[in-house]
Amino acid sequence: MLTYTVRRLLGMIPTLLLISVVCFAVIQLQPGSFLDQYREDPRVTPEALQAMTRQLGLDQPVWMQYLNWIKGIVLHGDFGYSFANSRPVSSLIWERLGWTVFLAVLTLLVSWVVAVPLGIYTALHRHRKRSAALNFLGYLSLATPDFLVALLLIALVLAMGGTNVGGLFSPDMIDAPWSVARVLDLLAHLWIPMIAIGLEGVAGLMRQMRASMLDVLTQDFIRTARAKGATGQRVLWGHAVRNAVNPLISLAGLSLPSLISGTIIASIVLNLPTIGPYLYDALLNKDQFVAMTLLMFSALLLLIGNLLSDLALAWADPRVRFE
Amino acid sequence: MHARTLTLLTLALLGTAHAAPKKVTGYGSLGVVGGKSGGTYTLPLGDSPQSLFYYGAIDNNLGLVSQQLFDGLVEFNLSTYKIEPALAESWTISPDGKTYTFKLRQGVKWSDGQAFNADDVIFTYRNMIMNPESRAGDPGNFKLGGQDITISKVDAMTVRFNLPRPAPAFLLQQRYFIMPQHKLAKYGQESGAKPGDINSAWPTNVAETEVVGTGPFKLSNYAAGQKVTLARNTNYWKVDAAGKQLPYLDKLEFLIIRDPQAQVAQFLAGNLDQLNITGAQFPDLKQKEVAGAPFKVNRSTALFGSPPFVAYNFDAKNAALAKVFSDVRFRRAMQSAVNRERIIDTVYNGLASLPGHGVAPANKAFYANTTRQLGSFSLQGANDALDAMGLKKRNAAGIRLLPNGQPLELDLTYGTDSAVYPPIATILQSDFAKVGVKVNLKGILSSRLLATGQSGDWEMILHAFGDQPDPELRRPIWQPGGSLYYWHRAPQPAKDGDPANTAKMAPWEKEIYDIFNKAAVEPNAATRKALYTRWQLLFAQNLPVTPIAKPENIGAVSNKYGNYVYNLGVIPGYNPVPLIYQK
Repeated sequence: MLTYTVRRLLGMIPTLLLISVVCFAVIQLQPGSFLDQYREDPRVTPEALQAMTRQLGLDQPVWMQYLNWIKGIVLHGDFGYSFANSRPVSSLIWERLGWTVFLAVLTLLVSWVVAVPLGIYTALHRHRKRSAALNFLGYLSLATPDFLVALLLIALVLAMGGTNVGGLFSPDMIDAPWSVARVLDLLAHLWIPMIAIGLEGVAGLMRQMRASMLDVLTQDFIRTARAKGATGQRVLWGHAVRNAVNPLISLAGLSLPSLISGTIIASIVLNLPTIGPYLYDALLNKDQFVAMTLLMFSALLLLIGNLLSDLALAWADPRVRFE
Repeated sequence: MHARTLTLLTLALLGTAHAAPKKVTGYGSLGVVGGKSGGTYTLPLGDSPQSLFYYGAIDNNLGLVSQQLFDGLVEFNLSTYKIEPALAESWTISPDGKTYTFKLRQGVKWSDGQAFNADDVIFTYRNMIMNPESRAGDPGNFKLGGQDITISKVDAMTVRFNLPRPAPAFLLQQRYFIMPQHKLAKYGQESGAKPGDINSAWPTNVAETEVVGTGPFKLSNYAAGQKVTLARNTNYWKVDAAGKQLPYLDKLEFLIIRDPQAQVAQFLAGNLDQLNITGAQFPDLKQKEVAGAPFKVNRSTALFGSPPFVAYNFDAKNAALAKVFSDVRFRRAMQSAVNRERIIDTVYNGLASLPGHGVAPANKAFYANTTRQLGSFSLQGANDALDAMGLKKRNAAGIRLLPNGQPLELDLTYGTDSAVYPPIATILQSDFAKVGVKVNLKGILSSRLLATGQSGDWEMILHAFGDQPDPELRRPIWQPGGSLYYWHRAPQPAKDGDPANTAKMAPWEKEIYDIFNKAAVEPNAATRKALYTRWQLLFAQNLPVTPIAKPENIGAVSNKYGNYVYNLGVIPGYNPVPLIYQK
């Protein structure tokens, strides 16, 4: 198991390098330059633009910019400077990482806790009206973009005379020290993003769980278990769910990168202080090292997520073992 | 300017002044009254500031915050846009117009209590404003005809600028924010720092106490990505008409909200106290106001703001088109097919007026009335004019044919991510089709419009440049051969800074070119005004670009606050916020 893990970890290095080359190339293929946004500003003279080009290292050939960036990471753990913020990229990302992880983990938990039981229920009672209704809701929320749900919820809150529209806190609570009132304020704001972002996940997971359950329920070993005289509960949880949940574990690993890029539009609409919109801006303005670092981070999360879900699968499913 | 009058004014001020706060008075016409102290005012910010150092990043959001933290030597009068004393209490201009001496305001303190003096001014000009490596400096304006403007310290409270030649717009430009030397000294070249080091001062994670200014507020907290909180600067140097210390407000907050719709939602929810909106958003908010919502939607015809225009590429790649575009008869004919009334009515919901030519109609100092030259919308007139210039033949689809037999078909480049450009483009397309000119719409991001314009790779473009109080500030745009005069690139010099290629200009362009050169050094105000009046007429008759409309400025403000004066955004030296009070 350990050697397997180490081998997988080492295998990530060439993969990441390859991804970084592709990402850098794609960013460079995008027309225009970071400095374009300043050309219209009456304060910016052509000389100032030249000076900035030099300061930012944009006068160097593209491959040189790339090599310098990689060199910085390998030798000093330096992920480069943000052109826009004149600050190291890593500290900028660090600043936003807390709320990003908090929101991502919470929505992941919420969607699992809601989706898995619903999936089981609709699989077990698939011919009932209630299941049909739940399935319909599932299709509906799967088909509705998260930002649209967010906008609808905001409109609803406004129409009811509420004031908690967007953000995680009321304006006066943003920089207040932690207190009971602040936690309550957070909860009063949190439900909108939970529903808007979580709902999509719920729908997808629920469908997945349902399909997987239906698949398992027709298997021979379920019949065998029943024939042996195991109780209904034991058959359901010990045999059926235990096997049906395996594909979901693999799926969970894939959802790690959504930490960064999953909810960009919803984050903008709901005004959440997460990394998503930051990546969006960096890509749009060609703030290349911010974009690169976030894309690489996202790729790394995907690789790690895959590894974790493989390991979790091995732990959960005795048939899968790495030796 | 009249140097003698100014000298007299200086003497008068010196007679009365010692530790002189500035009395803010005379804004009755704007509805300003005496307010009471206290309260918090919350404004939106479109994104996180990129830095907290004004000269370290060209960033509108940073500018909005900085505007409340710092001041310049001079500032605008809020109603007349005339230049008034700010950190400089008075100034004199030598009779030859080449020496400007600024007497600094006595008794001004930085927000940390340190005294403000000439060293701060010199430090700021040398390391930031005149420094070519500083990101948001303005070194270009400190070179006249290839020679440097120099700054020197006369005494602890006096600084002097020496210009190589007269520059009447120089005074207007000295609204640059002055920064504290005692906090930034280590980034200065005097202490051996490299010229580019200044850009890394005050990053967004700097300690709040480091960011020290002379402005009405001081930085109190920055919650990354969420909120910037400013607190009253108790050392501020302005008082109201009754002698009461300004600003009235205790706290000024900026909520970081990226999405314009989310900003409106937060305003409706009462979490924002003021919001600038577009004509497209006006009906919805106005309806709510009329239905009793606790806010007011104000319309104002401010000077600043960007009136859209259409331009035709004189140097278009298709030579036959370029020839037609360069012909003033074509541009005038097409102007008759521009339905300004309809655009004002439907695109701006009536919240716009007829445009000026390079100068806003609200600009009392320079505007010349050119409304007559705008003509009126007439498809018949446009058809006749196009027929008369020899574009009479049409193909089976009714599209006019160019002399070489190609159809008169052109691409209109416009910004898709805007509330006004797409509907204007559609209106133009449908009306131009009625006069036999086929327009294909080509949408790009609004932020790419200028770069596309300058690249020359377009045929017709819909774009806008902001208006400024003095035409000299917009010279690169409107003077033929200027770096932003992109609809006719042939006269642009091969190298920036070289004189333009006048041989490539049309006679009227040559005349405008000379006008701008003369007005830039003309010390007599009346003569300058006459020169710029002539320019506006030439502009209106020859239409280097065809202006469409001048949008009004619309701001919504909560009823909890008094003394609201419309504020476009970052205009250094135009800051009405210190006057706002909570009722």
